Formats: sequence, structure tokens, C-alpha cells
Amino acid sequence: MTQVNLVSLTKRYPNQPAPVLKDFSLSVENGEMVALLGPSGSGKSTLLKLITGIERPDAGDVQFDGVSILNMPSNKRGAVFMFQKSYLFPFLSVAENIGFGLKVQGASAETIRTEVTHMLELIGLPGMEKRKPAQLSGGEQQRVALARALVTRPKLLLLDEPLSSLDTEVRLNLQEAIRSIQRELGITTILVTHDLGEAMAMSYRMALLLNGEIVALDKPENLFHRPRSLAAAKFMGVSTFLTGDQAWGRQEAGVESCKKLYAIRPEHIRIQKEACKNSMPGVVSDCIFRGEYVEYQVAVSEMTVRAQMPMPAPMFPHGEQVHVRFPAEHLFEVENRV
Amino acid sequence: MKNPLPPPSPERTPGRNSPIFKNQKWGKGQNFEQNNTTPPLKIRSLDFWGRLGGGLRFGLYFVLAAPLLLFILYAFSNRWFFPQPFPVEWTSAALVRTLSDTRVLAGLLDSLGIAAIVSLLSLALGFPAARVLGLRQFRGRQIAWLVLFLPTVVPPLAIGMGLNILFLQTGLAGTFLGVVLAHLIPTLPYVIFTLAGAYARYDENFEFQSLVLGASPVRTFLTVTLRLIAPSLVVAALFAFLISWSQYLLTLLIGSGRIITLPILLFSAASGGNPVTIAVLSLIFLAPPVLVIAITARHLRGGEIREQY
Amino acid sequence: MRSHPLFSPWFSLAPALTIVTVLLGASLVYGVAQSLGLMSVIGQDTLSLDAYRNLFTGQGMAGREFWGSLAFSLWVSIASTLISSALALLVAVWLSERRGSGGAENLALNWNLAFPHLVWSVALLLFLSQSGLLARWAAAAGIIQTPADFPVLVRDRYGIGITLHYVSKEIPFLALIILAVLRTQPAGYDLVAENLGASRWQRLRYVTLPQVAPALLSGALLVFAFIFSSYEVPALLGVNYPRMLPALALRFFNDPDLRSRADGMAISLVITVIVLIVAAVSLKKGEQK
Repeated sequence: MTQVNLVSLTKRYPNQPAPVLKDFSLSVENGEMVALLGPSGSGKSTLLKLITGIERPDAGDVQFDGVSILNMPSNKRGAVFMFQKSYLFPFLSVAENIGFGLKVQGASAETIRTEVTHMLELIGLPGMEKRKPAQLSGGEQQRVALARALVTRPKLLLLDEPLSSLDTEVRLNLQEAIRSIQRELGITTILVTHDLGEAMAMSYRMALLLNGEIVALDKPENLFHRPRSLAAAKFMGVSTFLTGDQAWGRQEAGVESCKKLYAIRPEHIRIQKEACKNSMPGVVSDCIFRGEYVEYQVAVSEMTVRAQMPMPAPMFPHGEQVHVRFPAEHLFEVENRV
Repeated sequence: MKNPLPPPSPERTPGRNSPIFKNQKWGKGQNFEQNNTTPPLKIRSLDFWGRLGGGLRFGLYFVLAAPLLLFILYAFSNRWFFPQPFPVEWTSAALVRTLSDTRVLAGLLDSLGIAAIVSLLSLALGFPAARVLGLRQFRGRQIAWLVLFLPTVVPPLAIGMGLNILFLQTGLAGTFLGVVLAHLIPTLPYVIFTLAGAYARYDENFEFQSLVLGASPVRTFLTVTLRLIAPSLVVAALFAFLISWSQYLLTLLIGSGRIITLPILLFSAASGGNPVTIAVLSLIFLAPPVLVIAITARHLRGGEIREQY
Repeated sequence: MRSHPLFSPWFSLAPALTIVTVLLGASLVYGVAQSLGLMSVIGQDTLSLDAYRNLFTGQGMAGREFWGSLAFSLWVSIASTLISSALALLVAVWLSERRGSGGAENLALNWNLAFPHLVWSVALLLFLSQSGLLARWAAAAGIIQTPADFPVLVRDRYGIGITLHYVSKEIPFLALIILAVLRTQPAGYDLVAENLGASRWQRLRYVTLPQVAPALLSGALLVFAFIFSSYEVPALLGVNYPRMLPALALRFFNDPDLRSRADGMAISLVITVIVLIVAAVSLKKGEQK
């Protein structure tokens, strides 16, 4: 239940030439869940270590409710972690694991028992108090890890790709569970992930991290439909970038020199046999059936256009001559910068 | 939304003429097992290897278990002379007599005491060093590692001789403390490298979890770190004990005849010649190693025991 | 990686490093000094290379025996190392082929490793001496009549007993090293070779051996170094002539004539240098993967 300010955080590791994080700033509102998206090595995990106090930043500040906590030791900050591995203490039972945070803060045995039982119900594992972590499945372990984190009523919940090692179905279940619990309890949360779908499903706002800097920060819907920069768009799965002329159906050379580009999401590009106004001719190089939609790869002048059309959609064989149309209502502007 | 992989196009399967199959000589019926290579040795019957294997196995077990049986045979024998193949009379008199011998008792107590202290000391000194060596990267790590590794390669002979002179001058020669210090030299590196290995496999995130959940660093150390590293600690301590327990040369050179431990007694008995006494002393001397192996057998992978003794 | 501004890793290393550096360093310094003739005990404080010169030119009591002992030490060490390496390879390969029975063998090997060398030698003494158990069995079987008929296998002039000891003790050590390598390699290599038609012998030579060669070589060199510098076993199982080098060194170090101490010290330092060189080569080999 805290408002978090990350102010100009910079961190460099001794063996590396470039800083892992440079002038990183972010504000997370009370009760909000913000997702940090980015490829491996972009500094996401380092950020979480800085927030919890396990590492110290070279420059910048971390504030909870406006107060700097930089000099507070890790065990007093109230910022709790969840990792990809559950790190449940193997020598403690499920109940003892969950109650750990309460025990070290001096809560009475009675309180601990009540809280643990309540938590186990919340995460959907009632009655598992006496089990050992080794006896649980991956999904169950992560749920217990979540309970262990939440039982201490943390100020901030930090999730470092907690679901990436789980099977798809388990992962989806857990996504829903975390999402609903977070909203119900109103815990300020930062989620670090490389999975776009997960970030969009769970967060209020998403931040794209590249090379230690935020390149985009907005609500998931906005980022998805209207990313502002080239890098953000590519991250969102947009692969088609057009100059003004190409957008209106006039062939032209490549896009590198233009400052302003138009982009369009694959789902909105239309592939059709007949030519029409503003369409460009192309040759199908691949056509992949994906169940709910069909994916097309079409060579148009020097580009490869990737498009998706929902079923029922025509399957064009390799080499077929088709036309590509970019409906104007779905084109949006994108800045040609990283 | 799972998409099955498209079936491979016909060109992708290796055909008869592809290079993979070119070097095979094709006999009649294209039998893949026939080829033209003949092993240089004509020994091909499974029988030979099977018999050799069985013989080896028996030999291995025999060699490994025999010494204990040997000692038991001699130690409890009564008036067993050449050329009797086995003792006819048995007695435990020799064992009792030896255990009542004050010199043996003193040696036993000295050995136990020295080994216990050395084990604890090397744990206390080695644990922090091992943690740092196993977990951290820092400048000079290689050098520290090398220095700590040196005692395992420099022969105890040279160390003992030089230490003898040093201790003579500092008054430590022939003292309990002197022997303890000398024993630290082979045990410390062993403890450090065993624990460092354990720490290299250790995951610090457990400690981070404990910290962010509110436990103080001390509490984290006691509750989490020690519990996680405990098996390796126990193994390291036990083997440090064994290393000290088995020391002969170092104790000889440093003890200067005033500190007599069990191995020294055993050695002089073995040079003397009464097999019964030798066997009894050997059994007494073997008791801790046997115990340690029995206790730690589950945890051992075999890499822990080095050429220390 | 935790950044602890206060605690440099050297704090944690200090106690152990100090003990090792002081004890090891001082002992080596004193040892070298003594070998160079600097012995305040008898008032001598001039540097002199006499001890070394005597050794290498064969003069003086120690010098006369030096080269003979060196040759003897090398002979025993090399023979023991080679035999145990070869046998260890066979044992390891044989053990690694039996899937799922690792427990008993592992225990047996570890048991052997934990057996102190001293006791193992004693056992060999009791077993193989001319009035030992084997001799008694032989007599009971009518093969020999008196203890003197039994061949001299321990406390013999050729180092047979010593070699037997080291071979039986080092095979498990080396076998475990080889097994460790074999267990990390996928079993597939051997299967593929068999599938392609290689016999057991060929697989051993062309597939297994190259895989384990670096680790085996490294381990063998360590074994050599250990045997070469070890005192207890040759002292117990050997005779007065020829002596292995460590026994020779100690004999002179303990000599009532204090001047012989320098000789003894010099011999032990020669041993040390040889061992250090071998160990260094072993480490280099061990790092090759």
C-alpha cells in the first residue's frame, strides 16, 4: 500500500563497460501494478535488487511514500520478492515457509496459524500445511511463495518473472490468481517479465526497458495499439513500417531515411487476390495456419510484410500473386528513433 | 493456438546418394551391421570379458574389505603360529590389555583431542574463507586460491622439517598447541575447498528471500544459511578430523617425541613385530574412519576425499 | 552479487590466509635456510651450498646414497602410477557400464579412500610378510615349508611391497576421478561407437580414453607426486637400502650429527621442487577440457 518513486537510478557493475541502469526513473501509484518488459540483460532484475536493498545504486534514490529508503536495510523495507524459482526453504514445511515473515517479526503462534490458514485458502491450497516444498508441483510452489510474500502485508510486491518456468496452463491460472489477489488486496506491485501477453494481462501500466532505459510507458492498450517509437512498436509485435508513399500504395525505396513512419499491426493488414485502391502487389512467400488465424508472409517490393487474418481466411500457396492493403484507419505514426 | 510443425518437404530427407551413406559398404541385403573393420585384438567372445569382470569384482571387494577382517583375525587370536591358516583359539585378552596400557590410552586421548580441536578450528577459520571463495568474484581471488592450495602440494616432509626448526625457536616444539597448528596445514585447504565447492552450488537467493521477509542478517545466517550448508559442513568437519587423526609424519616431526599419538604408537608397534598388538592397535586406530564413512556414506560423491593421507 | 561496502572479501579470508602463509611460508624459509647451512643451533651462519653440492656430486654420507635413492624413488613412483592408472581405467570403465549399481561400488571405493595409508601398509605387512597370513595359508596348503620359503614381498629390496601398497590404494582414487568424468559425459558416445561397429577394446581406446585423458593424466601426476614425497609407507614397507628419498631425508635430518640436518633438509627440498613441478603440470592438464 505504498507509492513508490524511483528517481534517476544508475548502477554499473565492475566488470561491465556500460551501466546496467542509467538514469532510470519511474513512479508507481498506490495499489498499482506496473509491468517492466524487456529482453534479458536489460537491467530489470538489477532494478528489483536496488529496490529491495540487496544492491546499492551508484546514483539516484528509491522512495516509499516520498521518503527515501536508501539507507534502510533490506529486512526493514517491506519490499518483498518473488523469483522464477520459488526459493521455498526446503527444510521448512509449507506452513512454516508461509509463516516465516511473521515469525521473524515476532508475531504470536496463534496469529501465525490463523494467517497461514487464511493464506492457504486464498491461494487455493487448503490443508497443505504439513507438506514439504519438494512434494509440491512447480505451480503449487509458486503459489506458496506468493502466500509467503503476501502474508507479511508488504508495502511493495516485486515479481521477477515468477511464472516463466511453469507450464502454459499452470501459468495462465496463476496469472489470473495473482491478478485478482493483487487487485483485491490493493498491493503496489512491480512485475518484471519478458512475456508480452503476461504483462498486458496483469498490469495497469507497462514500461518497456531497453538497455537500462525506459523507451515507452503507458497503459497496455495504448502501447499495443499505438506505440510511439520504432523500438516500442517492434516490441509489441509490429513489423511493418511504411513511408508515407508506401502507406498510400505507392512503391518506394526503404524506410531508413524517413523520420516519420507509419506502422500498422499485423492483424489489420489485408491480403487479397484483387487489386484495389491503395493496394500494393506482392508475392506470397509463406502461409501458416495457426488455428484461429492465418499468418501470411508476403514479399512486397523489398519488404517482407507479415500479416494475420482471422479465420475463415484464404490459404494462398507459395508464389501466389496477391495484393496487400493497409486500411487507413489502422495506420498510426511512429517516430523513427530507438 | 498450438501449431503443429509442417511436414518436412521431400527434399529434406537424406537420400540414398547423400554423403551420409556413401562410406558404407553395402553387402547383400544392405545389412548395416556388416562392415569391414576388424578389431586389432582377436578377443571378441563375451565370455572372456564376463569372466574377467566377475573376477575383477570379486577382487575389488576382497581387496577393499579384507584389511578389516585381517585385523580382526589377528587381534582376537590366541597363540596363533605359523603355519596355521586360521587361529584356533580366540581371546579378547589382547584388546583388553592394550586398552589398559597407559601409553595407549594417553595416545588415544591425545589423538582424539588434537583431531577434535583441529577439526573445529579449521571449520571456524575455513568457513568464512570458503564462502567468499565460492560466492564472490574479486581481484586476487586466484592468488588467494593458490596460496590456500599450496599446502596440498608441498610435501608434508618439507613442511614438517621446516616447521620443526621454527617451532624449536619459538618454543612450540613438542607442545600440544604446536601439533594442533601443524595439523591445520593439511586440514585447512581441505575444509576450504570442500566448503567452497558447496558454496559454488549454493544459491544466495534463499538468503535474499529471508532478508526481504524481515529476518535480520544474523537470523538469516543461523536459520537459513547454516541449514542449507549443513551437510557439507558436517562432511568437511568429519574429514578434517580424519586427516588430523591419521597424521604421522607431522606429529612425529613437531611432537619431538613428547606428543605421542595413536599413529605413532602403531608405527613403532609395526616396526616391532608382534602381530597381535599391531592388529589391536590398528583396530582401535580404524574405529573413527569406519564410523565417519558409515555416517557420511550417503552424502559422499567420492570427490571429497583427496590425497591427504 | 552482493555489494558490501564495508566487508571486503579479504576480511573473511584473513584468518585462514594468515595461518597458511605464516606456517607454510616460515617453514619453507627456515627449511631453505637450514639447507643452505644457516643453522644458529651450532653457531653456523654462513651461506653454503655444501649440502646441495654433496648431494649432486655424490660426496658425503648423504651424497653417496642420493642418486641411488632418487632412482629407486622414481622407479617405484612411476611404476606404481602407471600400473594403478591402467587398472583404474579398466575398473572405472567396467563400473560405469553397470547401470544402477553405483551404490555398493561407490561405497567400497570411498571406504578404501578413507582408509589411512599407515593402516593399509600395516595390513599389507601382516598379510604378505614371510610369516604373515598368506604365508600361513601357503604353508597349510603345502606349497612352502618354512617362513623363509615364502618370497620377500614386503620389506624387500625392489620396492615390491611399496608398489603393491600404492597400486591398491590409488586405483580407487583414480577410478573415482575417471568415473566422475564418465558420468558427466552422455552415455551416448559409447553407444554410438558400438552402434557403428567398434569393439569394446576400440571403444576404450578411441572413445573413452580421449574423454578421460586430461583428468586421468592430471590425477596420475598428483598420484606420482604424492608417492614420490610420502614417508610413512616406504618407512614401514621398505628396507634400509635402497631407501626412497623421503626416508633418506628424514634419516639424515634426525642424525645426531647436526651437520647432517642440512643434508636431510636439502634432500627434502629437492623432493619439494620436483613435486611442485609435477603438480604445476598436473594443474595445467587438469584445466584443459
